[in-house]
Amino acid sequence: MATLNEKKTCSERMENFRRFVWNPETKLFMGRSLINWVWISLYYLAFYVVMSGLFALSIYSLMRTVNPYEPDYQDQLKSPGVTLRPDVYGDRGLQIYYNMSDNKTWEGLVTTLRTFLTAYTPAAQRLNINCTSDTYFIQDTFDGPNKTKLSCKFTSDMLQNCSGITDPTFGFPEGKPCFIIKMNRIIKFLPGNGTAPRVDCTYVGDESRPLEVDYYPVNGTFNLHYFPYYGKKAQPSYSNPLVAVKFLNITRNVELKIVCKIIGAGITFDNVHDPYEGKVEFKLKIED
Amino acid sequence: IQDDHKLSTSELEEKYGTSTNKGLSSARAAEILARDGPNSLTPPKATPEIVKFLKQLVGGFSILLWIGAVFSWISFGIQLAQGAESAFDNLYLGVVLALVVILTGIFAYYQEAKSTNIMASFSKMIPQQALVIRDAEKKEVPADQLVVGDIVEIKGGDRIPADIRLIFTQGCKVDNSSLTGESEPQPRSCDFTHENPLETRNIAFYSTTCVEGTATGIVINTGDRTIIGRIASLASGVGNEKTPIAIEIEHFVYLVAGVAISVGVIFFIISISMRYKILDSIIFLIGIIVANVPEGLLATVTVSLSLTAKRMAKKNCLVKNLEAVETLGSTSIICSDKTGTLTQNRMTVAHLWFDNQIYSADTSEDQTTQPFDQSSPSWTALSKIVTLCNRAEFRPGQENLPIMKRVVVGDASETALLKFAEVILGDVMSIRARNKKVAEIPFNSTNKFQLSIHETDDPNDKRFLLVMKGAPERILERCSTIMINGKEEPLDSEKAEAFQTAYMELGGMGERVLGFCHLYLPENEFPDTYSFDTDSMNFPTSNLCFVGLLSMIDPPRSTVPDAVSKCRSAGIKVIMVTGDHPITAKAIAKSVGIISATSETVEDIAKRLNIPVEQVNRREATAAVVNGMELKDMSLQQLDEILCDHSEIVFARTSPQQKLIIVEGCQRQGAVVAVTGDGVNDSPALKKADIGIAMGIAGSDAAKNAADMVLLDDNFASIVTGVEEGRLIFDNLKKTIAYTLTKNIAELCPFLIYIIASIPMPIGTITILFIDLGTDIIPSVALAYEKAESDIMNRRPRNKRKDRLVNEQLAVYSYLQIGIMQSVGAFVTYFTLYAEQGFLPSTLLGVRVDWENNAINDFEDSYGQQWTKYQRTYLQWTGYTAFFVSITIQQVADLIIRKTRRNSIFQQGLFRNKVIWVGIFSQIGIALILTYGLGHVTALNFTPLRFQYWFVAVPFAILIWVYDEVRKLLIRRYPGSWWDKNMYY
Repeated sequence: MATLNEKKTCSERMENFRRFVWNPETKLFMGRSLINWVWISLYYLAFYVVMSGLFALSIYSLMRTVNPYEPDYQDQLKSPGVTLRPDVYGDRGLQIYYNMSDNKTWEGLVTTLRTFLTAYTPAAQRLNINCTSDTYFIQDTFDGPNKTKLSCKFTSDMLQNCSGITDPTFGFPEGKPCFIIKMNRIIKFLPGNGTAPRVDCTYVGDESRPLEVDYYPVNGTFNLHYFPYYGKKAQPSYSNPLVAVKFLNITRNVELKIVCKIIGAGITFDNVHDPYEGKVEFKLKIED
Repeated sequence: IQDDHKLSTSELEEKYGTSTNKGLSSARAAEILARDGPNSLTPPKATPEIVKFLKQLVGGFSILLWIGAVFSWISFGIQLAQGAESAFDNLYLGVVLALVVILTGIFAYYQEAKSTNIMASFSKMIPQQALVIRDAEKKEVPADQLVVGDIVEIKGGDRIPADIRLIFTQGCKVDNSSLTGESEPQPRSCDFTHENPLETRNIAFYSTTCVEGTATGIVINTGDRTIIGRIASLASGVGNEKTPIAIEIEHFVYLVAGVAISVGVIFFIISISMRYKILDSIIFLIGIIVANVPEGLLATVTVSLSLTAKRMAKKNCLVKNLEAVETLGSTSIICSDKTGTLTQNRMTVAHLWFDNQIYSADTSEDQTTQPFDQSSPSWTALSKIVTLCNRAEFRPGQENLPIMKRVVVGDASETALLKFAEVILGDVMSIRARNKKVAEIPFNSTNKFQLSIHETDDPNDKRFLLVMKGAPERILERCSTIMINGKEEPLDSEKAEAFQTAYMELGGMGERVLGFCHLYLPENEFPDTYSFDTDSMNFPTSNLCFVGLLSMIDPPRSTVPDAVSKCRSAGIKVIMVTGDHPITAKAIAKSVGIISATSETVEDIAKRLNIPVEQVNRREATAAVVNGMELKDMSLQQLDEILCDHSEIVFARTSPQQKLIIVEGCQRQGAVVAVTGDGVNDSPALKKADIGIAMGIAGSDAAKNAADMVLLDDNFASIVTGVEEGRLIFDNLKKTIAYTLTKNIAELCPFLIYIIASIPMPIGTITILFIDLGTDIIPSVALAYEKAESDIMNRRPRNKRKDRLVNEQLAVYSYLQIGIMQSVGAFVTYFTLYAEQGFLPSTLLGVRVDWENNAINDFEDSYGQQWTKYQRTYLQWTGYTAFFVSITIQQVADLIIRKTRRNSIFQQGLFRNKVIWVGIFSQIGIALILTYGLGHVTALNFTPLRFQYWFVAVPFAILIWVYDEVRKLLIRRYPGSWWDKNMYY
């Protein structure tokens, strides 16, 4: 089987390319006459306009069919995620390291908490109502202003010693730091099946070792009247209920692994892939 | 070339230091062996297998994928150093890319390893043992131990162990067909008969066979210095470079790689200038490369070609080199042998002349009767001569075979006559038994006749019958009477004139004519006790009675004229190259249509106009018959002129070496040349041709090795079927490539949009590989089974410089139109999925940095819900799956539209190609398995998908199909229009 010898020198290739870009004999620019370029450009312009139109039409009809209050599916949101404040991430997840005697190491953590709690000042919560019932706050109608639903108030003072009001340093300099646990919002999610879910913090892997914790509010529960959540459009002023934990007997100068789980029916924390589902794990090291 | 053939025996003895009686001494032989090396052909330096394999690993797209893999590992290294959790993803990606390259490399290597080496059979041709005289005694030595000067003895059936100058012969004939292509055994003697050592009778060549007789000779050349060794090195010296399809594929690889690299670099720059981190930009670059490279395509092409090769093998074309499949399709000139390829390779009686009249005989392959008028008593007499004056016999034990298929011992003409008689008269052997032969003179070239004397089978007739056949003019000389309607009439000048006319006419048809005569010997002079002596010829050999003429020809195969006319309509020029006489060659060429009925050669015109040949305007003659002798003296320009000026050309009396010159001439015209050949000497021409075709039955091993294709039935018509398949596969590869390229855009766009709009990644790199190497493979192979859209044998061969496999229209239409439609469809699915899960399109824009941030585990969606990183990632994978499914669904539409390039799908028929449906079902089946079966293996990034998302892209699939139908409609309606030029690929 033989050959087509198409070996060309570099200069020939350059010459061929130059001729391709502009051929003075046939007056072809990149293999087409100028008028031909106009036609083809117009065609593609029209083609893309039509395609964009079709895309826009599809998205428009999609937007018309989706429910503005709640998503059609919550396939990935079977169980809420849990987050911790302050949240400093290291190589492998949350790492809270600080030195009691060096206020530079903990001032940032305290600021994070303070900033986080600004959303829970009475002023910030003024649109929300006071709820007293310990059951789910089911609202089938729009009772709020502008076709909204009501939300229950959660103010930082409910976190008592960890509210930052009595102790603006959240116990960090004393080595008894406060952490805030927050459960992610899921629309129409009813945690606990009638019993308020509560936070439970233990050492990882060694649950029998006593970890002295103060929970605020009492028992570390999320009151049921904060549930269900009806979505941003129905409850624009809704804010997540919080639980604060204050660790009282942290061994100094040792890296400790602590997990705070939310105990309650419908909340799972055994998803091996998701370290933040139903629980939050973090490393804590306090030096003195 | 040496002049050993001119030397006398004593000169030879002196030259080689040997003795014809004693041979060399063992010590001397060992010395020469040490000097010259063994008597075997050195195989060409083979490329080491590992180098061949490594070449496969860096060819084609492999380099791009290696770059991708290396980038993956680099980013893995960097990320690992930074302690990022996702670092291992890049490691795996790199490994997967490397695996893809290695696996496709192994596949390609395996394919290449199948094609064999030409030298393999040359080494097989060496005889194991040779009978040699050394130290004055006969010894058997291994043939590779032979040295120059050895005296060797050869007998019938042996292979000649080296080039030998003969010093003693007895009835020796050699079969030189493997060397020169001459099919008749050549007599050998000790006489110097020709200046050219190739032509002289006193040299026997290495690797040819001694058919009969014995001979003794001096070894004059061994190993690579033999004639065959020189041809072998010539054949391997003819470069084995790129095939047309290899060039097309290379062109296509450049094109795609060019797009991949330029898009990659542009977006690398864009992402850098959009302040992405270098590392991220590199990861984007990998994605863009992977999306752009059709990983499975080269394997698909190979599979398609080998499927066609299989199909061709069923039609008696055995393809050795896969790429030759397509080369055959682009063939524009076929240089065909005559004997055996165009003809049946069997002498057959074509015409008879008796009673002053010419009769035609049936020459088809499977004749059982002869239709001409057999009532004349002259025919009875003639048939008797034909039967009796014939030494050929059927091999015993073939009674059940059809007559034409039986094996005969005897030369070609006698065989023809025997079979002819057997067909008409039945059992020839018993007729001969009843007419006992009492004396015989076999044919020899000085007498030019054959004679035998028989008793007759008529018990009342005690006379002997003398029958004779031979060259007509010689027979006529010996006759004084001629038989007309069974009566002997004096042979006057008028009757002799009639004989001449008939003889000329039959000879003019290129037929071999034999004359037949007989004589009943008078009973009184030759009583039944008479003893005939063939040496003294004590019987009359003149004043015989002339009975008739029979003419024979090797008739064309019955399928050939049709095949030639097919070639003609397909724009393929058929050139006949033969060693035969020009008249025979021209006659066969006319009868198969290589020279059409109306066209004339220069000589014909000269004859018609009655002017000298030189005055004829050469351009007026469409046909030409070129003699090998003329060819020898021609300059290249003259040959080019002939090839250019005449559309119907026959080369007669050519040697196999001249075939190479003819092939080169055709290639200078820019033609893709197919050449048939069977002899060893054809190897260089077979190698030089764009596609070498060896004969499966008559071909030598060397020819088969040098060829790209082997015709199992030696039939020219099979080449034409091959051409048809080759053209079909070219069309179908276009379709396959168009199909494959389309989805590259749908794979590429996600990366571009991801970079520009910062949306969550729509499709993963691994997912892309699952499309390219999973769902898309079987459908793209299925397109190889597509039937032709129109009569592909009615268009001209493709112009290899203009009609590219992947042209601008194909790339642009696939990339910028159908590909874009697919992308839009897939993106609609993507946005639908995210919206229904909580992320409306407006939320998605610009969300990338937070979305991918491991430290954000309360990421808010459009409804205020909060997501952990893993929940988002899982949703992203669901997005990959949805995007994947959309591409798959739209690829089904793409597959259907690619069935045709011009015709409507309804004209082509949706169900004619069943394999397409296998493709569609496999595609959907694989997608289902990946989604629902492997949806829980997180490393693959597939998740189970809600069923309705399979249907989001369906409207776009329908749109693709409708759009393409409209495109084809407009192409058919307005041929040559702007639309046709821009939209037809």
